[in-house]
Amino acid sequence: MNRLREKVRNLLKDGKVAGYLGYIMKDGHPLPHLFTPERPEEVDQAIVAPEDARYPLDKLLQQLASGYPDATFAVQVRGCDERGLNELYKWGQLDPEKVVLVGVACPQDQADYCECPGPWPSVIDSGGKCEPVLRSKRVDRIDALAGEEAFQEWLGAFNKCVKCYGCRDICPMCFCKECSLEHPDLMSTGKVPPDSIFQLVRAIHMAGRCIDCGLCEENCPADIPLRVLYKKGNALVKELFDYDTGSLTTGLSPWKFLGDESTMETKPM
Amino acid sequence: MAEKAFEPKIIGFFCNWCTYAGADLAGVSRLQYPPNIRVIRVMCSGTVSPHHVLRAFQKGADGVLIGGCHIGDCHYLKGNYMTIKRMTFLQDLLKFTGMEEGRLHLEWISAAEGPKFAQVVREFTEKIMKMGSPRLKQAPRAA
Repeated sequence: MNRLREKVRNLLKDGKVAGYLGYIMKDGHPLPHLFTPERPEEVDQAIVAPEDARYPLDKLLQQLASGYPDATFAVQVRGCDERGLNELYKWGQLDPEKVVLVGVACPQDQADYCECPGPWPSVIDSGGKCEPVLRSKRVDRIDALAGEEAFQEWLGAFNKCVKCYGCRDICPMCFCKECSLEHPDLMSTGKVPPDSIFQLVRAIHMAGRCIDCGLCEENCPADIPLRVLYKKGNALVKELFDYDTGSLTTGLSPWKFLGDESTMETKPM
Repeated sequence: MAEKAFEPKIIGFFCNWCTYAGADLAGVSRLQYPPNIRVIRVMCSGTVSPHHVLRAFQKGADGVLIGGCHIGDCHYLKGNYMTIKRMTFLQDLLKFTGMEEGRLHLEWISAAEGPKFAQVVREFTEKIMKMGSPRLKQAPRAA
């Protein structure tokens, strides 16, 4: 923690950043906080967010960046947050020149809970690398189910949805001004549970975009296993297009119309 | 009293330049194919979003057939590359959720392939008839 605070103090003192987006304890709750050079004493209260209090800092950063487009900000990132930033750079939502990373490596139990294959960022200012989880047991279990069984399980999950849009609202990667989930012609209104395809529609948009931070699933009041669906989407994108979501070296998303010529073949009937 | 045979509703998204023209040719040539197919003409198969396909299933389609130009022959040059990427992904995702990915089929049919069009529609309609009613229709207030 002290190493992190020292780094933040130096960043604010040197005038390199307009502020540091991190966490602070407020009335016993760890909450996001923007630490500014005007109030350096607050840095003594800066904390690494404990696992059960995770916020979409990438999303807050996007709002800050749109309000202050010329300012550079430092931001606390875990492995997933950094994957999010990488994708946001590619989608033109953030400028990499204006973001400074303050990295936090996740502890083992967090990595196991998230089944995370990369629980540390490229810059580590707090914590150390732990064992990554390379295969998702949750996805493998569903893959092994027969069609009818899988369907009953998913239908049971989708029927609990109350259409609160919590998953979409908290997602750091959802930045569309007009959301397909609210399209009057493509999504029925006025009923709960919503159309059974509601989660699938979100899943197709999350493929190659979801950074597996898990906030959607934690936010869902109905405990729908959203992460499993989005993890599968990302696994498919990797398998079909060799695209590593969240990596800077993997190029742009296969869904962007780059004119790349796929060599895929149609499946037989 | 004999039970009425299952008459599926199949939605066909056909690209204007190739498959729709192929369908026209099948018609002019008086080729027979089942009437279960309901055609939606699109300018390019690449404009068909996975969301459209899902919407079709939600609203009661028993099968969805997408027809586009052959690879390399897209009227808009590279639209059909997007089609195959999206639809292959969607089929795999549908399989994961047990939603019978066989109900979605993508076929490249050119403007000259009238007989092929009729054959594809015939075979797909038969396939859907055999598959019966979709699992998705079990969902509350589906379609």
